[in-house]
Amino acid sequence: MKRTAPRTTLRKIIKNHKPQLRLAANADLLVHLNFLLFLHRLAEEARTNAFENKCKVIKPEHAVSAAKVILKKSRG
Amino acid sequence: MAEGSARGRPGLRSGRTRTAATPAAAQTSSNAENNSNSRRRRSSLVKRRWNMLPDPDDDTPRVVLKRVIHTPQNCLVDSQSTSGIRTTIMTSDVEIVLNNTELFVQPQLHEQSQNKLSTPDLQLLDSKSSAQRSKNSDAAEERTRPEVSGVGTSEGRTQRHSDNPSLDSEHGDRTTHVSPETPANQQEDQQDLSQQSNPMEQVSVHEEEEVVGSEYCGLGLGLKQVLLEVTEWLRMSLREVVSHIIEDLEISDAEEEMINALNGVELEELNGEELEIDRGVGAKSLDRHSDPLSSPEKSGINPLEEADEEDVLEDQAIMLELDDPEQEPAEDETEHSVSQVKNFKSEVRQCRLDLEETVMSSSQQRRGNCHWFSRMTESPLQLLQPKPVPKRSRTYQRKPCEPQVARSLIKEIFSHFVKMPVTRDAFTIVEKCSQRYFKQLSSDLEAYSNHAGRKTVEMADLELLMRRQGLVTDKMPLRVLIERYLPLEYRKLLIPLAVSGNKVTP
Repeated sequence: MKRTAPRTTLRKIIKNHKPQLRLAANADLLVHLNFLLFLHRLAEEARTNAFENKCKVIKPEHAVSAAKVILKKSRG
Repeated sequence: MAEGSARGRPGLRSGRTRTAATPAAAQTSSNAENNSNSRRRRSSLVKRRWNMLPDPDDDTPRVVLKRVIHTPQNCLVDSQSTSGIRTTIMTSDVEIVLNNTELFVQPQLHEQSQNKLSTPDLQLLDSKSSAQRSKNSDAAEERTRPEVSGVGTSEGRTQRHSDNPSLDSEHGDRTTHVSPETPANQQEDQQDLSQQSNPMEQVSVHEEEEVVGSEYCGLGLGLKQVLLEVTEWLRMSLREVVSHIIEDLEISDAEEEMINALNGVELEELNGEELEIDRGVGAKSLDRHSDPLSSPEKSGINPLEEADEEDVLEDQAIMLELDDPEQEPAEDETEHSVSQVKNFKSEVRQCRLDLEETVMSSSQQRRGNCHWFSRMTESPLQLLQPKPVPKRSRTYQRKPCEPQVARSLIKEIFSHFVKMPVTRDAFTIVEKCSQRYFKQLSSDLEAYSNHAGRKTVEMADLELLMRRQGLVTDKMPLRVLIERYLPLEYRKLLIPLAVSGNKVTP
């Protein structure tokens, strides 16, 4: 069961990184959506890595290699 | 005699300097004798002290120093009735100093100390001396032991020469009486102590504990005085010495405060860098005090002091660093702010370092002692100025943690998407990755809004970002993504008139 999006937390995070930047009214929802899609891609990549290693469990090395790829892809 | 002359001279010398190797040897031998003939010497020394014939610029200073060292003990004994502990401390300090071969400071210190009834100084001296004792070499140990113990009382002094354990007990006694110690004694004690072995440290520790703060004040002050005296004594004539003594007496009061402040600060700081600063300050202090004095003396003394300081400080720094790694910058600032204080600071610092060394060298008490020392210095200092507590509880220094997305939320979302069991380490990697992602995201959004000439991130910026990421294509509009991934309430907010997946034309 999905939980609600941490709207305030997302705003705080962005404010920490870019204090002078403002967010529109419901922009943080789109940020949350973006985050979801990012995690989704990350999960898929990690799962693929685990399958390649014939593992039934996601191991840190799978996650690391997946993170490298996806982070590069997620750059605007 | 040379003794008399030595005594007359203001015994300026920081306990730290061990320049006089030969005189030290002589002193050590004399110290050994002191043990046996302490009483005899005392009487003789006392006489000499009263004479106070300063010897200008001759080698006798060392010898005199030796004598002077004894005299303080004697003086202490005699003056016990008067100054009580102070004298005892002084004598003990003298002995200690003698052993340490800290030439000039001792005789002067005695005189000054006796003249001044600044107990705190004396106490500090004791505490410092105790610290110094620990640092002393083996030879010094023998000497210092008897000397240190003797400080407490006349009896204690004699006992000092005996085993260290006796000294320890005596030190305890001494500490009780320490309050009226004179700065000179303290300095001398410092010097002696520094050279003495660890057992002395323990004793000194006891002393220090009792003496709290006040000792430090005196100690720093005494140390400075010792320095002054040594330098002065070398060159100055009787008149000069007397004048300097008077000066010191006057200054001591003012310095005490500063020293106290310094002590409190220094205790905490005790770093190798500080040592360097101390050296520089010590040199400066020498310069300052030796204004009337010729520069050569200063230079001569400075290298000596520096050498001693280095040895002492290095050792202390290493040990202190372990215990008190603290605000050097704060200390630097204070130093610069107070010129006078600087001079004293170096001295005080050294004394403190010595003390701390001795404290530290002691086995487990080290840590406690250091803390205790810092606390000791703090008490008098607090009166003068608010001092930050050196050791703060962990909670107080808790650094502000930046906001993070809930870990459980990340776990839930990731697990839902990956549909496989995930190890805990993999989760931490995912969290780190998401943090980095948010950083990238914010910078990208800022770039987009700046490009558009706005200061606010709008929906268009976010859609552009998703398009660039490859999430939104011509075949996959943003709306579809919203409807697919976000819950209804959010969908309603983002898409006007979106109702449970039904495509409703607005």
